[in-house]
Amino acid sequence: MSLRSDKRQWGSIAKLFHWLVALGILVNGVWGLLMTDMSPSMSKISIYALHKSIGLTILALFFLRLAWRLYDRAPPDEPAPLWQRVAAHATHALLYGLILAMPLSGWWYNSLHGFPLQWFKLFNLPALAGKNEELAHTAHAIHEYLFYLLLLVLIAHVGAALKHHFFDKDNVLRRMLPFTRTRRNPSP
Amino acid sequence: MNVRPNRTALACLFALALPCLSHAADYTVQPSASTLGFSGSFQGSSFDGHFDKWTAAIRYDQAKLAASKFDVTVDLSSAKTGDSDRDGALPGTDFFNVAKYPQAHFVTTGFRQQGAQVIADGNLTLRGVTKPVSLVVAFKPQGSGATLDVSGSVKRLDFGVGGGQYADTSVIGPDVKISAHLVLAAK
Repeated sequence: MSLRSDKRQWGSIAKLFHWLVALGILVNGVWGLLMTDMSPSMSKISIYALHKSIGLTILALFFLRLAWRLYDRAPPDEPAPLWQRVAAHATHALLYGLILAMPLSGWWYNSLHGFPLQWFKLFNLPALAGKNEELAHTAHAIHEYLFYLLLLVLIAHVGAALKHHFFDKDNVLRRMLPFTRTRRNPSP
Repeated sequence: MNVRPNRTALACLFALALPCLSHAADYTVQPSASTLGFSGSFQGSSFDGHFDKWTAAIRYDQAKLAASKFDVTVDLSSAKTGDSDRDGALPGTDFFNVAKYPQAHFVTTGFRQQGAQVIADGNLTLRGVTKPVSLVVAFKPQGSGATLDVSGSVKRLDFGVGGGQYADTSVIGPDVKISAHLVLAAK
């Protein structure tokens, strides 16, 4: 498996970006939904701090990944009807947009609320906007609803990948999996 | 006729000399122009707060430090930091615990000259704990009154402020700076 993508599968760097971001979204999504109901405590502060640190990491990974995606050549589409290929690319574009919008809307909300923003207790990042508690409510709603939208798009993304893997038995999922080899003779 | 002016002069002299012998001047604080502030840090970012309700008895003379005295009482429930979450947490049992300890009290035990600065040594009682705290004093006479600026630093955990689960100083900084600006009028 090479660092760069080839005609058969994604390269290990593209795979690493994909699965790191997937893990980050999973962890931050679950915590993000649960943490707001916690009563004030040090655990709540710590979990919020971790949520922000992970979100910022996803944001940084987004830009690195985008740069790599532009440099690396993506493997050609697996054989599929045109509408499926268009739908897949549209889903990917939407995912990229949402993966960017999630941390940015969180950062914006955090700024409007006047909270500090620290990355794993190592350094602080500036506020994106001045304190405005009224607008902060709107920003929080945007952050939350963007996540529900992300969840819907992810269901389509994951659902399509599983459909290709288990029903079409092609390489769509395999070529992104970390430790598998692509099928030599994809079923027709 | 000749005696009266002499007696008046004597009385004036005596009146002037008396406070010099025993007392430094007493002042009253002008609350609207005076502030008692503090600043701490949370997640690597500093925040400023102040107390709305406090009283101070100030007796001070730069030349008579031994006779000078500050006595300050602070209503801890009046702390404001510009953040509703934090202001909601400060009076609670984890921080000031105002239900049990509504007030903080600082009283000087002595003043000393340190180079060009005057240091006020005293005891701060906060949250049921009394510890020595020293403040840098800058006193500027203005007309019959004066302005008094003091500053210092306390370790919040010395007094159990934000102890227990909030004791992690990598999240809530260990030092809290105190700074007060008092506008004083002669009593």
